[in-house]
Amino acid sequence: MRVLLFAQIRQAMGTVSIELAIGEVDVAQFWQTLNTKHPVLAQYKSHVRLARNGEFVGNDARFTDTDEIALIPPVSGG
Amino acid sequence: MVTFVAISTKPLEDHPSLREPASEQTGAVVEFKGIVRREEAGSPIAALEYEAYQPMAETMMRRIAVELSAQHPCDHVIILHRIGIVPVGEAAIIIRATAKHRAEAFALVSSFMDRLKQDVPIWKVRGVPLSATIDSTPK
Repeated sequence: MRVLLFAQIRQAMGTVSIELAIGEVDVAQFWQTLNTKHPVLAQYKSHVRLARNGEFVGNDARFTDTDEIALIPPVSGG
Repeated sequence: MVTFVAISTKPLEDHPSLREPASEQTGAVVEFKGIVRREEAGSPIAALEYEAYQPMAETMMRRIAVELSAQHPCDHVIILHRIGIVPVGEAAIIIRATAKHRAEAFALVSSFMDRLKQDVPIWKVRGVPLSATIDSTPK
C-alpha cells in the first residue's frame, strides 16, 4: 500500500509517501508495522486521522495492499 | 444547487467562476474571503504556504457544501482554495453563496468555514519570513 504524508509529517519524513507491503491488516496492525519501519511516525499516532482512498475511516477499518492510506494531521485551511 | 469547487496555485481573485452573473432568482450574494495577514503566530510574515491532499479536499468541500445546503438552501456555491505560496493581502479562500434570501447564504458560508477547519485536508505548512524572497509563481 501507499501511505501518503502531509504537512509536518511530510516534513519530518522528507518524502510525500512511503510504500508498505503488509497484506490485510486492521488499524492497530497498520500502526504497529508503520512504527516498526518508521519509528519517527509513532509520535503522530495520537492526533492523526486515517483516510483510505480519500475517505476518513474509524478504528474498525481494515486495509489491504491496494489501498492508499493518508495520515491526516490536524487541518488548518482557510 | 450548483456547486463549483477548485483548488489552485493561482490568485483566486482572478478566477473565471467569480465573473459569472447572478441569476434573476438571486436575492442575496454572500462572499467570504480569507486573507493572509501580515502576522502569523506573533511574527511578521511575507506569505503563508499551504498544501492539500487535493482530491480528498475537493471531494470534502463539495460534500460539505451539499450537506449544508439541505439546511440552508442556496442556489449556487463557489468554493476556491489556494495552495502553494500565498502572499500577504491575497486570498487563501473565497466562498460565495447565492440564494433567494440573505439568511440562508450567510448561514451556509459561516457553517462551511467551521467545517472546513475541522475536516478538509488542507494545511498551512509555514509562514514565509519577511527576509525571504517570495516566488508565488504557480508551479
